[in-house]
Amino acid sequence: MACMNEEGQWIVLMGLLVAVALFFLALIINQSALVGQTTAEGVLEFPKNDIRDLREAVFDYVKEFGDADNAVREDIIAISLERKNAVVSFTVNQKMDVSGHWLHPVEIHYNNGVTVYNETVYY
Amino acid sequence: MVNDAGQLYTMEGVAAGIIMLLTAYIVVSTTSVYTTGDTHIPDMQLEQLGSDVLAMMDTPDAEDTESDLKRYINADNAAGGSDQFRDTFLNYCNRTTSGAIDNLYMSANVTYREGDLIKERLFVEPPDDGSWTGRESAVRVTRWVQLPTGNPYGSRPQAVLVEVLLWRA
Repeated sequence: MACMNEEGQWIVLMGLLVAVALFFLALIINQSALVGQTTAEGVLEFPKNDIRDLREAVFDYVKEFGDADNAVREDIIAISLERKNAVVSFTVNQKMDVSGHWLHPVEIHYNNGVTVYNETVYY
Repeated sequence: MVNDAGQLYTMEGVAAGIIMLLTAYIVVSTTSVYTTGDTHIPDMQLEQLGSDVLAMMDTPDAEDTESDLKRYINADNAAGGSDQFRDTFLNYCNRTTSGAIDNLYMSANVTYREGDLIKERLFVEPPDDGSWTGRESAVRVTRWVQLPTGNPYGSRPQAVLVEVLLWRA
């Protein structure tokens, strides 16, 4: 303690600030890998393409069979459950007048335990 | 008793304490090293790529015509459908804007329903050139295809699920 020199305190303070800033940057790098992983897993888990594809399959069905019942419906429901782990159901009703167009009301339901998707669409 | 000498030493001590605590925190919180494989980012990209390729193949050239995908599936192995399917799929997903083509590989099967049974048929075999190593990092992409009467999977109109296993060797 004796002969303590109190000069250069600003330099010491700036050194401290730089050290703290470096540690915060290290913390950000430490977390960044985790952020990428969470995002990627979120994207992988969300069945965006499955739902789009199911909608397209249902629209193909409506185009082909209209509101008539066909075994293709059972194909879609059974294979979805077996191979995609998704409970799927859809109904097609008789054509009705929608603003001057005659369209089938179609109800699509999708549930894979994590994501639930319901839609009523006129096709 | 109390004087204001040695303030700089006190400050230094506090600063050192904070830095040591932060160091300990970072060391302890980094219990595992994440590599790109662990973070599933390549899987995500591969899955999106595969889905896009199948969507491209399922898009017909003109309205009310058959898409390539539907034609290949309907042709089945016998009429060379599976070879064409494999070639088109790999051509689309290995294409790069410049330089060498990518090295992705695939196998495919078709799932269909027969009565109460869900059956699976191999459509494109995995390559036999030693690149069949990618089970672990492979991703699965699927696409529904609706086939007319008289298709290879039954006598009635059917919806079948095309499943492609895609991996980078």
